[in-house]
Amino acid sequence: MNASTPSEPTSRRAFLRHGARLLGMTALGALGGALAGRSRSEGWVWQIDPAKCLHCGNCATECVLEQSAVKCVHAFALCGYCNLCTGYFEPEPNALTTAAENQLCPTGAIQRTFIEDPYYEYTIDEELCIGCAKCVEGCSRFGNGSLFLQIRHDRCVNCNECAIARTCPGDAFRRVPASRPYLLKTSHAQ
Amino acid sequence: MKREFRLSTRREFLGQSAGALALLSAIAAQRASAAPTRARNPFAYDVSRLEKTDPRLVTHHEVARWPAPQSPARRLGLAPDGTLFVCGGHYVTAVSPAGERGLEIALSAPPECVAVAEDGAIFVGLRDHIEVFDANGRRRASWDAPGRKSWLTALAVRADDVFVADAGQRVLLRYDRSGKLLARLGEKNRERGIPGFIVPSPFFDVKVAPDGLLRVTNPGRHRVELYTPEGDFEGAWGRASMDITGFSGCCNPISLALLPDGRHVTCEKGLPRVKVYSATGEFESVVAGVESFAANAKACGASDCSRGGLDAVADAQGRIFILDRVTAEVRVMQRRA
Ligand code: SF4
Ligand code: SF4
Ligand code: SF4
Repeated sequence: MNASTPSEPTSRRAFLRHGARLLGMTALGALGGALAGRSRSEGWVWQIDPAKCLHCGNCATECVLEQSAVKCVHAFALCGYCNLCTGYFEPEPNALTTAAENQLCPTGAIQRTFIEDPYYEYTIDEELCIGCAKCVEGCSRFGNGSLFLQIRHDRCVNCNECAIARTCPGDAFRRVPASRPYLLKTSHAQ
Repeated sequence: MKREFRLSTRREFLGQSAGALALLSAIAAQRASAAPTRARNPFAYDVSRLEKTDPRLVTHHEVARWPAPQSPARRLGLAPDGTLFVCGGHYVTAVSPAGERGLEIALSAPPECVAVAEDGAIFVGLRDHIEVFDANGRRRASWDAPGRKSWLTALAVRADDVFVADAGQRVLLRYDRSGKLLARLGEKNRERGIPGFIVPSPFFDVKVAPDGLLRVTNPGRHRVELYTPEGDFEGAWGRASMDITGFSGCCNPISLALLPDGRHVTCEKGLPRVKVYSATGEFESVVAGVESFAANAKACGASDCSRGGLDAVADAQGRIFILDRVTAEVRVMQRRA
């Protein structure tokens, strides 16, 4: 039950603190370690403004890395925990089951878990997510917009000129302080 | 809390991983050949087929259109004398069916919903409480907030009762005209056979039908439910489906109007469309399809759909007034001869 807005850059500490509650990110431990290792406490990193993202697909194909540093993240606080999740299911699924033909994600990166009738929780397997934004479009178009893309800084090599930013039709990439590297969606209702 | 079924088996997981690897190879091949900006998105979420309405299903045409008096425009109300009330900005404004503005009530916060009683009393729902005005716009009362999480999205008045849809608490509240809370209706109750409301976003509507029963949207279950004023569950109709006969997306319908003969008018978001269902819930026709709300459909795609949406009321002549919250316009729709 929310309307959402992208927030100001979120500090690494706040991101980590709220990670378990806000975001379906599976590698927070690795994230913390990787960030510390790269000592980016000074300087700037790239990030996607979720309010500007047009879900064009370039994030999956334009990153210099073999598997994009861009991943889908999930703001659970915004999620409706819908049975018919339009980020998880094809627009016209045969049935609301986890069968592969019903799933929207091209890599099967979204896990659907029953909570209680009729609520389901959706989490992203980052190893499988390629950042294609198909689920983001489905969730934004028909749902609460709780799925969105972020550059994961445990993966991103912080190119001087981000290869995706060059082609981004939404002009959604911007530099943010390395100490606050995420632009999370938050809830007016909180 | 329990899991209804297992997650991926090892074989499925390996299959998915193999699929991901194959996709990465395809992406690499595409990178080698593609220009920096491609015209086509290989991962497009394609609902274009559903954005076209069969013209044979469209029974109404637009006879007038006027701008909402204030924006952002949120909801419509209809007084018993046929005057429309439009919630927008920090105002509720009375408007004639031809679009001429009348009484305007300034509020301390954006109004979410409005209803007008037979005696002219105007009930306005702000996000967390109700304010009551007389027919001249003088404030007569302000009721206590029903709950910390309240998000009031609809009001319906019947004789001595005021029904309030609280999307934040997922409950229908029944008050008397003095603001005394009489009952909480529609909360999940196995013994009484009440399924409970699923309201993922702030769209939750209630109307009092001429048969005396309440019609309440249950968007997460993709249906309209019928309740007695005492809260007994009397039935439901509607089903989830992207095709025109059902309710699309995660959570629809978002609002509801009643025609004088008891038929229903429903509004959807995501695929913004307005349709007519019979008094018993069979799909009948389309008032306006997705093509009619291009900006509204796009608004939902760009960020999220809690800011888009449509609302409708139907007057005693069967005219349907549709508020497009994105363009802040009201369209007057009439059935084709
Ligand atoms: S390139 Fe830009 S518009 Fe396209 S998916 Fe990435 S952030 Fe969104
Ligand atoms: S649909 Fe695309 S962005 Fe969403 S989880 Fe799957 S791979 Fe990631
Ligand atoms: S900065 Fe480089 S590694 Fe990071 S997302 Fe952009 S292209 Fe990928």
